[in-house]
Amino acid sequence: MKLILKQVALLIGSMVLLYGATLALSLLLVPRAQVGQRLDAGLATQSLFMTEPKYVFLARGQLNTAADKVLLVGASNMQAGFRQTQMQAQLPQVEVHNLSVGGSNMTQVGQIVNIVREVQTPEARRHNTFVIGLWYGLFADDAARWYTDDRHPGDTDIDIERYRYGFYRRTAHGPAPVLPPEHLDWGVTLIHPYLVLDRTARDLTRSLRNFLAAKPEVITDEQRNATVLSDADKKKYLAFWRTYMGSAQTLSDAPFLVLERTVERILADGGRVVLLDIPIPAWHAQGAVLQADYSRRLWPLLDRLKARPGVTVVPAFDSTDDDFSDEVHPKPRVTNLWAQRLASAVTAGPVLPATQSASMN
Amino acid sequence: MAFTSLTFIAFITAVVLLTTAMPSPGGRSSVLLVANLVFIGSYATSIEQVAPLAAFLLLCFLLIEAVRRSRSSAMLGVGLAVAIGTFIVLKKFSFLGDTLTLPFPYLIVGLSYILFRVLHLMVDAQQGELDRPLSPLQFFNYSCNFLAFSAGPIQRYQEHVSNSRQPLLLDEETVYRAFARVIKGFVKVGVVSAVFNYLFDNMSARVLDPASHPALPLLCARAVAAALFYAVYLYANFAGYMDIVIGVGRLIGQELPENFNRPFLARNFLDFWSRWHMTLSDWFKTYLFNPLLKTLAARVTSPKSVPYLAVIAFFVTFLVMGVWHGTTAVFVIYGLLMGAGASVNKLWQVAITQRLGKKRYKAIGDKPLVIGLARGMTLAYFALALSCLWLDMPQLSGLVQRLGVAGLLACYAGLSVTAGVAFVAWDAVVGLYQSMLPNVTSVSNGVIVRNLSLALQILLVLTVASFFHKAPEFVYRAF
Repeated sequence: MKLILKQVALLIGSMVLLYGATLALSLLLVPRAQVGQRLDAGLATQSLFMTEPKYVFLARGQLNTAADKVLLVGASNMQAGFRQTQMQAQLPQVEVHNLSVGGSNMTQVGQIVNIVREVQTPEARRHNTFVIGLWYGLFADDAARWYTDDRHPGDTDIDIERYRYGFYRRTAHGPAPVLPPEHLDWGVTLIHPYLVLDRTARDLTRSLRNFLAAKPEVITDEQRNATVLSDADKKKYLAFWRTYMGSAQTLSDAPFLVLERTVERILADGGRVVLLDIPIPAWHAQGAVLQADYSRRLWPLLDRLKARPGVTVVPAFDSTDDDFSDEVHPKPRVTNLWAQRLASAVTAGPVLPATQSASMN
Repeated sequence: MAFTSLTFIAFITAVVLLTTAMPSPGGRSSVLLVANLVFIGSYATSIEQVAPLAAFLLLCFLLIEAVRRSRSSAMLGVGLAVAIGTFIVLKKFSFLGDTLTLPFPYLIVGLSYILFRVLHLMVDAQQGELDRPLSPLQFFNYSCNFLAFSAGPIQRYQEHVSNSRQPLLLDEETVYRAFARVIKGFVKVGVVSAVFNYLFDNMSARVLDPASHPALPLLCARAVAAALFYAVYLYANFAGYMDIVIGVGRLIGQELPENFNRPFLARNFLDFWSRWHMTLSDWFKTYLFNPLLKTLAARVTSPKSVPYLAVIAFFVTFLVMGVWHGTTAVFVIYGLLMGAGASVNKLWQVAITQRLGKKRYKAIGDKPLVIGLARGMTLAYFALALSCLWLDMPQLSGLVQRLGVAGLLACYAGLSVTAGVAFVAWDAVVGLYQSMLPNVTSVSNGVIVRNLSLALQILLVLTVASFFHKAPEFVYRAF
């Protein structure tokens, strides 16, 4: 047994030595991930974190401050429709962070809210205003969304990030933290060599991965503004969303319950919630099997929730089909207007903390 | 219990430490018994799920004992028929339909390899090679040895018993080498197979995409790439698993047989199968090929026909070996391809030796370019035939239709030549490395350097695991 323990000790010592040297070198060569003072998951590709879920999971440590914050959460239409810089310009009295992650459903949105809360002190949580962008696609059932071959059954993209570097471990009751959330920044420093290596490897293999996964080309804002959808495009998009939603005829109750619980958690912390019904093109709303069911279930819930202090409900803005570059995302030319509308609704609702403190003075 | 999980690493650590704490044969057998039960139990959530496996083991134990006592061919025949019949029912072979299936889910992992061990014991018992009754403990530890439970290697019972009676002797070098072997296995599984699995998943999706209608050359290139990626993935995954279990085996006093010997360097299909899943090949050679050849030889008197008997025996053996891999019709195709490969290979050897003579045939075969091309052709045939393991019947027939005869031939020729050139280049690199080897070896023999090298490999595994976020499954467990 002595021989085996000695070999284990030699191995562990060698790993510590080697990893320590790699860590020092990586910190020397590549500075720690700088994500700016405001978080914007839309800029993930330009950061060391590369993907939106990884960005949100690893960068959230800086949200533990007593500054008033508006935190945008939702799916890709929340990211594309309410750009952090445009929203920030409309709401200069608070910090605006866009934590929206493409492909999210309500379960993942609930998780994002929770992982933000878990790094914050009770005092910091009181300064949160979460803006949750709702539309029928956000209410996709977990069975359809997260039970795919590329992942452990049921893992969301946020779960994958929780387990990726061992910050969480898998238990029968869901993810359990291995690294206490308050030490997240230490953890991020410790995995710095992996972040650098991952970024480098991905940059070097981008062409190959794009070829293998046949990813669509990146489209510029100008191209998006000029987009005109054909009937064939519309049919293709409707078919995609039918499959994406698990070919269901009705939505399940679970995501609505998650929304309600998420709102209650935020309110219990002393925070505020803005529930925004994000518009989609009329042709999509009329062609989607689940849109009617979504509206039928959503509005009684929103009516109930808006009676709670701290909750604001923002109905879908007026929009035309030409405002959209595809089936859900607004054209860049309208996003500033959308930001103004949302900002107006937010400021017209329950008083934002900064204004509140100003008026108290 | 997945071989790439932290649970498995904790489990083998506990088994190794317990075994070294109780190094006597009795102590080791007890630890192995508990380890085997825990390992099998990790696949089940209720007693009901392991009941069929337990019943199968009990049945086989009784049959082996009956054969050993009677030593009659008739009893052996009954034993083989009952064991194989029960196996077919438990494995739910598709041709049975729903008539003979048990009405509840149960564990089938490891059944195939238990069958191999049981059949070997029955035949040996009939031939008088088991001189004493089987002990239930030895039988269980042999047939359900957690190291070889899922996918071999297939050890002979006599070797297993001999190992378990030896004292556990470990020295510093043995321990280091065992650790190095285990880590090498994790590199193969966690790095090489993970990368090729990623490549394969993406490429096969493009090959099978119903909306994609590429030109024939592009379709051929994609099909060849997918087939090659799968072959490398399967090899790295399976050989890595073998490295892990052989390494762990050394730490607990079990000398498990080797199962791979650089198969992609094989110069022909028969050579390939003497390097790939070697214990399975040996088993089939001992218990199917040799008896079949003996039977055929007894019936054929013409000396000219003798070389061709081996062709028939090879075809049947490889057909059975291929069919064994799965329970659906596509595995019959795989078996036919394996059988055709082996028998054509044998026919070629017979014909070319008759034409050129052994010396000239050998002289031509030793030329570097010929070696490279022969390796390329062997790899190409195996990789393309292996597609049966990742395509179902409709997908296979659809792909064959899209490729056509010209496409299939182009795939084979293209991969043969490309791989052949790659092998020649590889040999040149290896030759260069070996000329520098004495200097490298003197540096790498130090304790610090060699442990840093192991640490580097572990960090590499962790790095790739963080890239892919999902460790590859042990793929051969499914066969």
